[in-house]
Amino acid sequence: MEELIVAGVDIGSTMTKVVIRNGRTMSTFIGPTGAEYRTLAHKVVEDALNQASLGFDDLAYVVATGYGRMSVPFADQQITEISCHARGVRSLLPTARTVIDIGGQDSKAIKLNEQGRVINFVMNDKCAAGSGRFLEVIAESLGLKLEELGELSLKGDTAIKISSICTVFAEQEVVGHIADGRRLEDVLAGLHDSLASRVYSMAERIKLEPDVVLTGGVAKNIGIRKAMERKLGYQVLLPPEPLLTGAIGAALLAKELVLKAIEQGQPLKKERRPLEAARFFE
Amino acid sequence: MVYVAGIDAGAAFTKAVILGDDAVLASQVVLSTSNYAQAAISALEGALSKAKLERDCLAGVVTTGLAAGRVPFPNERATETSCISTGVHRLFPSARTVIDVGGQASRVIKMDEAGRALSFMINEKCAAGSGRFLQVIARVLQVNLDDIGELSLGSKRRTDFSTSCAVFAESEAITRIAEGASKEDILAGVHHALASKIASMVEAMRLTPDCAMVGGGAKDIGLVRSVEEKLGISLLVPEEPQVIAALGAALIAGGRLASAGAKQG
Repeated sequence: MEELIVAGVDIGSTMTKVVIRNGRTMSTFIGPTGAEYRTLAHKVVEDALNQASLGFDDLAYVVATGYGRMSVPFADQQITEISCHARGVRSLLPTARTVIDIGGQDSKAIKLNEQGRVINFVMNDKCAAGSGRFLEVIAESLGLKLEELGELSLKGDTAIKISSICTVFAEQEVVGHIADGRRLEDVLAGLHDSLASRVYSMAERIKLEPDVVLTGGVAKNIGIRKAMERKLGYQVLLPPEPLLTGAIGAALLAKELVLKAIEQGQPLKKERRPLEAARFFE
Repeated sequence: MVYVAGIDAGAAFTKAVILGDDAVLASQVVLSTSNYAQAAISALEGALSKAKLERDCLAGVVTTGLAAGRVPFPNERATETSCISTGVHRLFPSARTVIDVGGQASRVIKMDEAGRALSFMINEKCAAGSGRFLQVIARVLQVNLDDIGELSLGSKRRTDFSTSCAVFAESEAITRIAEGASKEDILAGVHHALASKIASMVEAMRLTPDCAMVGGGAKDIGLVRSVEEKLGISLLVPEEPQVIAALGAALIAGGRLASAGAKQG
């Protein structure tokens, strides 16, 4: 039998992630979502297919997930981030019982059973203070790069407690601390503690159980990882590329849906709109 | 004549009110910046010079507000809740509920017929429930904070926000502008969002009319109208809503002097 080609597209508020599976070979793409995210996902998939001398029609199935999942015209089906993250983590780190995903605009915790199925989840998308946005705002206000925050925070000797929860008030508090001559590293240590505490207390509502896997862009921040491990009292696991778990899960689910349809002899439900519909976005 | 002063050292503005025998002589509002001590001095000196008085004419000073502890001259303290209810009672004896929208917190106070606070609820955790929300959006739109009330009344089609977080709303405002929404429509949306948060606090406290609205937020006619619409009532708004806590502080200063005098009697 010919190898199945499937794609998973995860459009987050900040980053767009695409995974194309051709049999066991996997190609991945990550780029900023930006305002033109609809075009971007389309272009990324098109380029990837072109490189392999393939076209959209060669894709057996496309699953879209993430915040922007409704805006992928070439997707056959939309599946929630919760299901896709769980599926991705199950394949990458089968011992995981809890997934903590901290993205650019929200955070969530997912509880998995021994088979890797979702048994519970909790989510915060109401408040910037529990998301990567918190770090972005602070980095911008301190004139630092987002990528350097974590390392810098580890150099703090005494974490300065940030008493404000709200990002807007915390930003002001941080500026005040710096103006008072406090060490930048100590202030950053306090900030990382603050974000980790907030996500930890949300995740604790579904009773955290090891192994805990950290995913999403913020999982790349070593300061958050260390702060989270201090809260948990044990180490967290990290996928090879924490940004990709949702897209990997989406591609796996796409493949499983195709196989199941073939097995049952049922035609696969396809919601793909014609490519002309995609041009609307260009 | 007995002169007293009340100072409200708030997150965004510092306010001073001078009373002479219980009547308002002068008031002054200055930006708090981050130097609260200096702001308190400027506010007091400004009010004193308007009243043509010197600092040693004052028989008592009562301070309140977030930064009351930073005030660098001798003073007594009173809570914001008691200052606001005292100030509102002086102007509106019929008021039984007060909404105060400040730079970093908003609160709802229930009071009795004597102007004593019975209970209160405060939101100081979230910028989207305070005047700070207005500042954040005004900055994005590059409009003056004092102009947003009038501007918002010119809205043709309100832009509703899908988020209740000030940070997310800021990005949403930028997106809406790029999509062609007008400043007026965005401001109307912000007023609507903030008014919803305030109204839910009022409803949790159970509204007893009459209801007054004070604090810097009450200077914003667009916000006042939105809150009125949400609650389905008319609000009592003082001419200078921003100085009500300072007025209450000064009244409390006067009251304390009078009762100390009576005891010595």
